[in-house]
Amino acid sequence: MKPEALSAALEAEHAAIYAYGPIGVRLDNASAADARQAEAAHRTRRDALVLRLTEMGTSPPAAAASYTLPYKVTDRAAALKLATEIEERTAAVWRAALPETTETDRASALAALCDCAVRATRWRRRAGVSPATVPFPGRVT
Amino acid sequence: MLAAAVGAAALYPIAGCGLFGDEEDKSQPPAPDPLAPLLAEALSLASQHEAAIAAFPALAERLTPVAAAHREHATALTKVIKAPAPSASASSASPAPPSGDEKSTLGALRSAEQKGQKSAAQACQAAAAERAALLGSIAAARATHLEVVR
Repeated sequence: MKPEALSAALEAEHAAIYAYGPIGVRLDNASAADARQAEAAHRTRRDALVLRLTEMGTSPPAAAASYTLPYKVTDRAAALKLATEIEERTAAVWRAALPETTETDRASALAALCDCAVRATRWRRRAGVSPATVPFPGRVT
Repeated sequence: MLAAAVGAAALYPIAGCGLFGDEEDKSQPPAPDPLAPLLAEALSLASQHEAAIAAFPALAERLTPVAAAHREHATALTKVIKAPAPSASASSASPAPPSGDEKSTLGALRSAEQKGQKSAAQACQAAAAERAALLGSIAAARATHLEVVR
């Protein structure tokens, strides 16, 4: 069991929580509600990771004061695109944690991977991206 | 054709009869891989989606990428299991046309995806490290299928 994989997951969760701020303000009401739910889910994962890493005797990495977004989120289309990418990136980090974990840690990583993949699919649907699914969620191609 | 069939049939007893004692063990089929049921399930899911598309062409746009994903999962599983590639006859034998209307067909596909998601998650949980990421992606893909198969 290597804490590095969980630390990487925590850093990805910090970044995801940050990104949903600028995403949320550019969305329509229905999508903004989804964004709030997504952000809450990432906060729950973050809190669990902080606890778990502390329990393992590793100092959990703190969130940065701010993160550089890959592009300006100026409209709904950009917000949906970034939301999809955030979920894809977080899915990839959780997928990478699977071989490094066992038992309950692996179960958490798998649940997180599935949740991120489902949210990415929902964002693609809202953006009208087809197909809305990918064959291997979290696999970096 | 007949000669070829007879020839092939004639070859098997020779290969399998264990003329040399030390070869007998090698002719035993290897123990099935723990992922064999998951491979069979991926092929079955692909066939079920393909049968639904054939019966209800209106579903093609939604279900074609899902069917293709299951085929890709089967290919990837075949690779890690190191099993011979599933033959065309094995994978095309099952698709019986769906028995109900479009709505009940989608319902049956959803149930199959739900069941498949659970078995992939269980396989991921039980797997050795080198198989965990692939199985995790398969479980996650099946979870996302429930978003579009409705």
